[in-house]
Amino acid sequence: MDVMVHSSSFLLPKIHQPAKTPANNYTLVVLNQHLPRFMPRLWAHAKLRICADGGANRIFYEMPQMTNDQDCETTRNRYIPEIIEGDMDSIRPEVKRFYSNQGSTISDKSHNQETTDLHKCISSIRHRTPSHEKSDLCVLVTGALGGRFDHEAANINVLYVFSDMRIIFLSDDCLIQLLPKTHQHEINIESSVEGPHCGLFPIGAPSTSTTTTGLKWNLSEAKMRFGSMISTSNIVDSEKVTVQSDADLLWTISLRNLT
Amino acid sequence: MATPPPARPAMSHSSAFLLPSSAPRTGSADAYAVVVLNQRLPRFAPLLWAPQVRVCADGGANRVFDGMPELLPEQDADDVRLRYKPDVIKGDMDSVRPEVKEYYSNLGTKIVDESHDQDTTDLHKCVAFIAQNSLVSDVSNLCILVLGALGGRFDHEMGNINVLHLFPNSRIVLLSDDCLIFLLPRTHTHNIHIERSIEGPHCGLIPIGAPSTSTTTTGLRWNLDKTCMSYGGLISTSNVVDEDQVTVTSDSDLIWTISLRH
Repeated sequence: MDVMVHSSSFLLPKIHQPAKTPANNYTLVVLNQHLPRFMPRLWAHAKLRICADGGANRIFYEMPQMTNDQDCETTRNRYIPEIIEGDMDSIRPEVKRFYSNQGSTISDKSHNQETTDLHKCISSIRHRTPSHEKSDLCVLVTGALGGRFDHEAANINVLYVFSDMRIIFLSDDCLIQLLPKTHQHEINIESSVEGPHCGLFPIGAPSTSTTTTGLKWNLSEAKMRFGSMISTSNIVDSEKVTVQSDADLLWTISLRNLT
Repeated sequence: MATPPPARPAMSHSSAFLLPSSAPRTGSADAYAVVVLNQRLPRFAPLLWAPQVRVCADGGANRVFDGMPELLPEQDADDVRLRYKPDVIKGDMDSVRPEVKEYYSNLGTKIVDESHDQDTTDLHKCVAFIAQNSLVSDVSNLCILVLGALGGRFDHEMGNINVLHLFPNSRIVLLSDDCLIFLLPRTHTHNIHIERSIEGPHCGLIPIGAPSTSTTTTGLRWNLDKTCMSYGGLISTSNVVDEDQVTVTSDSDLIWTISLRH
């Protein structure tokens, strides 16, 4: 079974990149919820920034509070998304006008009501990424957790539907990502920015055998399912955590105060 | 000729507990308990304080102490704290501020101190405590309303959702500013009465933990008809309640969610 290596180096300040990072091609997707406090750090790492509809409002109105810039205008001119995509029912007209004038591509997908804004964004990222670049690609998403529970559930389903892509959801409190059962996983822990609280969840279907190393309460061919045991409030005990399972699992780790 | 499977008993659900107290209550539970976990209170928290038992899980006591006067700013803070005090503060006491614990203790709140137990979440401990300690006269028709279970750290949220699965015979509702969720156990067919003045229209049915090979609904804009649902495939999100009564029958435990109006 192939090994998939994970690292949260995108949470480090840009100059402090460790020697081996599994991905160096980050795309940032901003959904329509409060920005995490460390958004400027994510923005700096990303080669491509996409706002999903009302996510553009969040950048426009909330970024100025996160920088030391003297005025809103300076911040707004520095943080221009390359693409704004979605059904355009949440983005404010003045925000759309501003970014359009600044050169953002406005990709109006309002004719497609079958999928969520996140699904549309991930789908178009996948289409525009050449095959030889796909293995380096990592999509960072803010605003996918919290808020309406059905939205959160639909966003988590995007991780399962696009299980061959690296997609990481980030909030102020934690990050989550899918560990597909097709691979053994090595998760390098950046303890200056993440941990110690972590967990593993068989959201789609139960696991009859999961084995881990590097956790305070490791699993050894353990069964996990909702209605019985799932791994919550676990603790990372090592710089490297390994996970192998017969089920797709969601991995989560808490984030330290990054500002 | 095959015998048809025995008909499942019906279970009714209603969010009448969210109606202002002057409205007639046609709830499906006779008794309510409130559990407050350690996150910011939703704006409607004062509306839920009338029920019989109010339990704060550790730092949830800080949230009530700070949050209730903030939500009722035109009233005197000490009056508010007295009217909206917890009956019990339970947990390992590593989050509740000492002055908050003392304040409520002086008002008669019971402090149930316990050493940290890794195997169960704060919510699990509170649900077990409410059931075991006969704090409510009739446990069989009790509904536990939980604040602060959604959002925040994802592993906490998952642990809290797992409590719904671990206690499928209990009515436990997780509430936030944006929505509420509860479990629809597969052992029953479900009638969900929609209080249109306070909830909806956005809703969803989520098969957390295991797929469903057959779910059927009525009352939704996009009804399911013996439909398969699973992560990686179809789940019902951004659905809309179209009638005052929604029915759900499934071969799998489902999480029902509906948005709350502001």
